[in-house]
Amino acid sequence: MSAPPLQRICYVEDDEDIQRIVRLSLERIGGMSVDIVADPAAAIERMIAFKPDLVVLDWMMPRIDGPTLCRRMREHGETRDLPVVFVTAKSSPRELEELRALGAAGTISKPFSPNELPERLRAIWRALAARGPAHS
Amino acid sequence: MTPFTAAVESARPPVPADAEVTPEPRLLLADRVAQLYSQLPIGAAATLAIVVVSVYALRRSDQSWIVYGWSSVALAITAARVLLWWSYQRSARTVEQAQRWMRWLAIGAIANGLIWGLLASLFFELMTEQEYLFIVLVLGGVMVGGIAMYAASWSLFAAYGAPIVLPFTYGLATHDDVLVRGVAILIPLFYAVSVGVAYRLNQLYLGGFRTQRAYRQLNAEYAVLNQRLARQLQELAEARGQVETSGRKLALFVQRSPAAVFELDPQGRALNVNPAAEHLLGFAASELSGRLVAELLFAPEQAAKLGARWREMLRARQPIMPLRLGTRRRDGHEIVCEWSLTPLVNAGGRVISVIAQGRDITQQLEAERLKQEFTSTLSHELRTPLTAVLGALQLVNSGAVGSPDAEVLELTQIAERNGQRLLELINDVLDLEKVEAGKLPIELQAMPLEELLCESLTLNRAYGERFGVRFAMSDELPSASVHADRRRVLQVMTNLLSNAAKFSPEGATVEVTLHDRGSHVRVGVHDRGPGIPHAFRGRIFSRFAQADMSLTREKGGTGLGLAICKRLVELMGGRIGFSDRAGGGTTFWFELPKHAAAVP
Repeated sequence: MSAPPLQRICYVEDDEDIQRIVRLSLERIGGMSVDIVADPAAAIERMIAFKPDLVVLDWMMPRIDGPTLCRRMREHGETRDLPVVFVTAKSSPRELEELRALGAAGTISKPFSPNELPERLRAIWRALAARGPAHS
Repeated sequence: MTPFTAAVESARPPVPADAEVTPEPRLLLADRVAQLYSQLPIGAAATLAIVVVSVYALRRSDQSWIVYGWSSVALAITAARVLLWWSYQRSARTVEQAQRWMRWLAIGAIANGLIWGLLASLFFELMTEQEYLFIVLVLGGVMVGGIAMYAASWSLFAAYGAPIVLPFTYGLATHDDVLVRGVAILIPLFYAVSVGVAYRLNQLYLGGFRTQRAYRQLNAEYAVLNQRLARQLQELAEARGQVETSGRKLALFVQRSPAAVFELDPQGRALNVNPAAEHLLGFAASELSGRLVAELLFAPEQAAKLGARWREMLRARQPIMPLRLGTRRRDGHEIVCEWSLTPLVNAGGRVISVIAQGRDITQQLEAERLKQEFTSTLSHELRTPLTAVLGALQLVNSGAVGSPDAEVLELTQIAERNGQRLLELINDVLDLEKVEAGKLPIELQAMPLEELLCESLTLNRAYGERFGVRFAMSDELPSASVHADRRRVLQVMTNLLSNAAKFSPEGATVEVTLHDRGSHVRVGVHDRGPGIPHAFRGRIFSRFAQADMSLTREKGGTGLGLAICKRLVELMGGRIGFSDRAGGGTTFWFELPKHAAAVP
């Protein structure tokens, strides 16, 4: 059974330059609809409004970091089941273990190539679909 | 019998004083000969004196020509005997020649006896009563003198006496006077008694000789024993000096050692403490002495950790190498120390005490942590701006945001390439940091190496093409299963292949080989580059090692690649190296242990 195509992405990222690059990458190259959120505190509200297929969280953000936001999403009925991909510059086994415990759908390490980003997110999306219908 | 010096040298126990010493007959003979020859000049002088006195006393005799004739013969014989004595003195006087000298002595003794025998036989018929008495007295005298002269050999005395006694007895027996004839009967009796006395004297001489020999031997043995004793005493004194010196040195080392040193009894009570230990832990030596150190210095859980190792050390009687323990100072301040424990075992295999050495590594650990934290933070913080830089450039260069002008594109491509180099450097620094901190996860598993090599060639083909270099596997690859981490082997191959590509001339082929070497498998990467400069060979596997820094700018590379390769290969239980390649170029190789099941 083929999965529905990945179209709507919510990307939470505090760095403005990366926001622009991600937008260009996902919209121009990936042909996706993107909602970029700069303030993690407003992220859940925006997700509820935007209804993304997949959420991408930056790990390191001021005040509320990626993992904290992820845990908060799990407490909201409407965001609880959204698949989450983390973007991180970290790669120690302890940190990857933490991500697994949070139920992350995948990780993308910094720096990533904007040319390849849409395809990498689609690959994670396809893997999720293959695993089960829960997130479709 | 061996000469006594040799006998003593062979460390035979000394002969007891009352044991019978049986000298070798040849030695006895030699000693006898020496004894007799030493008497010879006295005998000759006495003979000469008696002859002179006799000539003087008998000069007015009617038969004076006989007197002079006899005295000439006597002088000739005496001269011959002196000559004999002189020859003997000049000879080597060896034991082997003693027999010969004895024969000459015997001849001399008989000749000497003949002088007096001649005197007796010639004069008896011709003389006055007074002259007659004179000769009888002379003959009696020379007989008695002979006993003393030949005390060392009764047979020689017998030979000497016989030529005197025979004509003397004959002369007396044929005398007119009955009294004189009576004396003639007594003369052989005197002779027999004299020979008997000489024999007795001989026995005394023999006893004397034996005693002297035994005494000499004892003396010699005593001297050797004395020498040996002196030598042993000297050695003992030297050894004691050495022990004292090394003891002083050891004490000095311990006193001046920057490390804390404890001597503990097997129960862990302090016996001795050095100043560094007092300084490090804040306790005075007197406070520590006799106390259970573990109770004083370690929290219960640390003490338990130490206790287990302590019992293990006592059982194995083997030192325990650095044991990191949180250690409490007297002021309650906690420091981290590295302790090593060395049991001192006596000849009976019993642990008599334990030397504990401690070193404060709190600062060192903190410095290591800070360094790692700094490197890791720096590297992570660099990645975020690099994501923006590289991302922007990649979007421009891929044409995703429109086609830029050719010159602009050239510049943005340069920027992207250098951004990539910066990223490689950061990754390498992080990798090296992880390897050195022991934090790089290595997952060893059995895997077929030849497939992995093919994969590495495919992955790096594009990189090689940038330098116009082709990578090729050698035709025949043995199948080899190794015990290694797949990702790390690929990382090592990528490093070696990219180095080979960078240093090969355009159009060259870099060859990859695989060889079975018993317990290991060797992978070789062979290039046709300029070779490795001699000055650089010693530090090629060190950090930031590049033979020519201008090449870094020209061709890229961080100078960390080989350092990482070396550590990765060693983590997988292998080794890495290089050699000159026949026909020019260099071969870099690494060896990995075969998977146990695959080792024949």
